[in-house]
Amino acid sequence: MKLPANSWTLLRNIVLLALALAVVVLILPGKARSQLGLDPCCAIISAGLDTISGLLKSVVAKPLASIQQIEQQASDFERQVVWPAAAINQARSMAVQAEGQFVQMRQVFQLPVSSATLPTPQQLEQSLLSRNPGAVAQISNDYSALYGPITAQTDAPQPIRDLVDMTDAAAQAAMKRAVEIDALADLELQAAEQINQQLQTAAPGSADILEAQTSAWLVRANAYTQSAMAELIRVRSIELANEGARLKFSTSHTGTLHSTGGQVLQQGVQ
Amino acid sequence: MTKLLTALKSLRLQLSGKRFIAVLAIVLVLAPVSAQAIGLGDIVSLIKTITGTLQDAVGTVLSEIQGIQTTINNYRQQIIWPLNELNRARGFVSATRARYSGLMSQIQSIKNNSASLVNPKQLESLLRGGQAGGIPQFQQFYTRVYAAVPEANAARPIHRDMMDIDDALAMDALKTTVVSDQTTAQLLTLADSLEQQSASAAPGSAPLLAAQARVTDLLAQAQMAKMLAAELRQEAAKLAHQNALLKQSATATRNLQNQMQQILKHP
Repeated sequence: MKLPANSWTLLRNIVLLALALAVVVLILPGKARSQLGLDPCCAIISAGLDTISGLLKSVVAKPLASIQQIEQQASDFERQVVWPAAAINQARSMAVQAEGQFVQMRQVFQLPVSSATLPTPQQLEQSLLSRNPGAVAQISNDYSALYGPITAQTDAPQPIRDLVDMTDAAAQAAMKRAVEIDALADLELQAAEQINQQLQTAAPGSADILEAQTSAWLVRANAYTQSAMAELIRVRSIELANEGARLKFSTSHTGTLHSTGGQVLQQGVQ
Repeated sequence: MTKLLTALKSLRLQLSGKRFIAVLAIVLVLAPVSAQAIGLGDIVSLIKTITGTLQDAVGTVLSEIQGIQTTINNYRQQIIWPLNELNRARGFVSATRARYSGLMSQIQSIKNNSASLVNPKQLESLLRGGQAGGIPQFQQFYTRVYAAVPEANAARPIHRDMMDIDDALAMDALKTTVVSDQTTAQLLTLADSLEQQSASAAPGSAPLLAAQARVTDLLAQAQMAKMLAAELRQEAAKLAHQNALLKQSATATRNLQNQMQQILKHP
């Protein structure tokens, strides 16, 4: 903290005025002094200047020395306790150490895990593991090639076809979402590495900014995770809905079988 | 004389120090004798004004500044960053670390392997090893337990394809878990280093460590998303498998109906 500018100006002007007055009085020749009427009162002027000097020492210099001491103490405290350079450098070196780990983890997650052996599954698996949003459009074709197209109109009643179509849609959407989530995760990993590089040269004051940015990325990452979770719940819900639909169809078929059986038996009796 | 003092005061505000001295000297030298003949009372009054200003305007302000500086300094040292509290926080970090990290490592290192036969044991060991280097062996060990896809003449093509994709996605997910276990170990090491650093951190270096922890958290979230993507693929494949069976069943039922009708038409 510094003295207010006005106080400094005031103090400086007063000191300069006192000094100027003393210099003028001392330099002026005897006659001039007489003209000023100073001769008879040199002792009084001298006493006055002594008083000013005393005041400068006691009222100005003493508090200034005290302020200087406080400033020094505050400076030492901040350098040694609050922001010690050694601790700051140590924290930065942590970011350097983490970088190696980050790169390793990214590389491990990029190891190929594909396992299909036949051509059609290989094609679908390649799209699924591509981590490339551009491959999403290809998934529907690959999916149909493997799991078959929707049942023909002549092969199944409409309710079954609807069920099949809905289920295929849910499965394909989940597969597409998985590719997108993989791609987003790759971007998050890249961002984490870049922010970490910034941290290696950051100052305590700028670290807060980087932390805020990382927090924003975390919110984003959580949002993507949430959307993947929603997709997962949709897949499981469709699975559950299918179970329920099968039971309903089965009940309906049993009713039809009962009535047909009854009719056949009645015809036999007649 | 009062007017002269007022003029001096206003000049003092307007002129800088050196200019003020120069103006004062010139005025005193050039002024006519009659004008320079200031009385003793005037000089005493001037000195009194200066001393009064020093005592009241300057002295009071400086004392106030000194007081404010002391208050701020004390506030920083006693309220914001009291040394004993900083040391206590550091001690707390060390104590917490000493109390929990060992226990947590022990729990984390417990082996959950449960298979008892040779082939499942090998596969399980690979699954739970947390070493991505073992991934190339995966296919071999998996096939020993879950069998290979039947030969072309032993099953219908669609069934072979479905078996293959089921196996593939199961293996992909299992491999991803191995990778995840390895990176989990690295994340735990990083977390441990961060906590260790916190135990000797200063208030000024703590934001750097906090930012580092957030970045690592982002990395962990990204890896979590990858695991979730693997789970999504698995669940989707499961659903697709069930649906494919339903399609085949519908076609088979229609074929059966057609054949029955033909039989009934031509007894």
